[in-house]
Amino acid sequence: MASEKHNDHAHDHAAHLREKHLMLDPLPRGQMNDMVMESMRATSWKFWVVFGVLSVIVAVFLFGAWGYMIANGLGVAGVNRPSYWGIFLVNTVFWIGISHAGTFISAILRVFKAEFRRPFTRAAELMTTFGLVQAGFSIFMHMGRVWLSYWLMPIPNQRGLWPNFHSPLSWDLLAITTYLLSSTMYLFLPLIPDLAMARDRTPDGTWQKTFYRVLALGFRGTEGEWTHLRNAMNIFAWAIIPVMFSVHTIVSWDFAAATRPGWSSTIFGPYFIVGALHSGMGAVAMVLAVIQSRMKHMKYFIRGEHFEGLGMLMLLVSMAWAYFFFNDYMVQWYGGDKWTQQLLHFHEAGPLGWMWFAMLVFNVAIPWVTLWNKKWRSNPWLLFTVGLLINVGMWFERYIIIPISLTINRMPFTWRMYTPGVEIYLGIGTVAFFILLYMGASRLIPLIPVWEVQEGQMAHSLKTYGRETVVTVSELE
Amino acid sequence: MTTNVSLLAVFPDLEPAADAIEQLRSLGVPDDQMNVISGVPVTEAMLGRPRQWTNVPRLALGGALAGLAIGAFLAFATPIQYPIQVGRQAFIPGPPSVVILFEMTMLGLLLSTFLGVFLDSYFPSYRPMHYVPEISDGKIGVFFSCPQENSEKITKAMTALGAEKVEAAEAQPL
Repeated sequence: MASEKHNDHAHDHAAHLREKHLMLDPLPRGQMNDMVMESMRATSWKFWVVFGVLSVIVAVFLFGAWGYMIANGLGVAGVNRPSYWGIFLVNTVFWIGISHAGTFISAILRVFKAEFRRPFTRAAELMTTFGLVQAGFSIFMHMGRVWLSYWLMPIPNQRGLWPNFHSPLSWDLLAITTYLLSSTMYLFLPLIPDLAMARDRTPDGTWQKTFYRVLALGFRGTEGEWTHLRNAMNIFAWAIIPVMFSVHTIVSWDFAAATRPGWSSTIFGPYFIVGALHSGMGAVAMVLAVIQSRMKHMKYFIRGEHFEGLGMLMLLVSMAWAYFFFNDYMVQWYGGDKWTQQLLHFHEAGPLGWMWFAMLVFNVAIPWVTLWNKKWRSNPWLLFTVGLLINVGMWFERYIIIPISLTINRMPFTWRMYTPGVEIYLGIGTVAFFILLYMGASRLIPLIPVWEVQEGQMAHSLKTYGRETVVTVSELE
Repeated sequence: MTTNVSLLAVFPDLEPAADAIEQLRSLGVPDDQMNVISGVPVTEAMLGRPRQWTNVPRLALGGALAGLAIGAFLAFATPIQYPIQVGRQAFIPGPPSVVILFEMTMLGLLLSTFLGVFLDSYFPSYRPMHYVPEISDGKIGVFFSCPQENSEKITKAMTALGAEKVEAAEAQPL
């Protein structure tokens, strides 16, 4: 009797584990393919309304306002003495930060074999590529005379002009270009088998068939093709991590290499990286919540366990960010430099002091209060809200570091508050463009890497040790 | 003189496909006359197949060295042509040069890894090829060449091992 009761309990527990973990709840591959293809094709009229509205915002706010700025000069933006760096660079740092999530989730979690990553690696990788596009736009906007941007390239010329490779700004160009190229390649490589799957499931004679056929490159899934792909993905997973670290470290050196109050800090590199991961993870949580609720069949692929894992990472990153923030603050406060003291006081008690406190509440207090609870952090919409607030908080952090910190310098007669101009519209335009690109991609690119999910499902099984049923993972490679 | 024919056997799962490969070997089909296609990365060990050769790591290393050389050219050679003196830094300063060398090395490494997949896999290839779309639905396809006179015997053996179909492999547009 007791044995029967125990068997029932073990059976219930196994059923519960299967329901909870995607890796233990396999469906036939053909069915999963159908679900992913249907999720791309099932589009409601609401999608197109949002798409249309965003297109108009992009046309007016991004390209229209940029054209206006090109026609009238940088004077229509708010950047002026002493805050020569304004929202354009705030947005650049912000978007590069967002782009870190893709690499973190896809590469670092792949290297450490964190299995819960499998269904949403592509959704995160897309954020990297599209985030870097917005960062690139923001830099070109900041440049003003964008048509002269080729002067940044090392092209031999008779004017004696040459990029200064001793400058962090030139390193930015190298690092961001390297990161954009490598993250795009890293997005594309694991996509090839899914493009081949989409090719096989698209009717002949349609433009989609041509699209998938061209991009699938003739992939068939031979032993050789898989071997080359697997080797390349392993190299990418390891090599792209230091590239990711270098990008935001170099961005931080744009500030830290200057001997300005509030900027000259040896801890800015890791502080910026952790900040980037903080906003990036928050953005991934937002994207996953939307995908899960709005795209067909996504509740099968994206489950509470994924939000739970993501929530835990967000909490951990929030703690790391708090540590670096306090470390940076403490050393500057203790140093006693007159101008730094003025600046720190200005951050907290100046006209935008509310932003400093909001940053701490959004980046630290809210994640800590909400994400410690397993049940709460498994809730997609709670995680969406926390992710949104973290992103607002991290944007505030960059705003405090850049234009607000530039307000206070060693020449008090130049002190002047920064008031944004056209850059507000351009910033809204980049947000709209990011969402627009993502929505467009969700109709064309399988957002779920089906083959990776199936590979994970092959590796997972349930095993009973004594009276306990546990999840086991095999090393398939 | 014997004429060879190319056949394709489609299996529903990994186990029968691995058994079929073993059976093919015992029926005299050498490993280099077989190829397996699948919708998930199935390792050689799972199928009992010889290890696949790949040039991707070597190409990656070559690309990294090329990137390092380009970085060294930018960092050490171009200042001679275009001298830029920055503050009290040395004419060719150490730490900033490390940044350039690192970025260019990584760019070379990752670009050549990516191109390595294209070179080794002969991508892109849009000519007709041996393929069945069911592969992306999780089936395992085993292509092999065998003498014409053995084809019937082998077909029967494959069917007995659970092949859903065994047919003459025909190249078709993907």
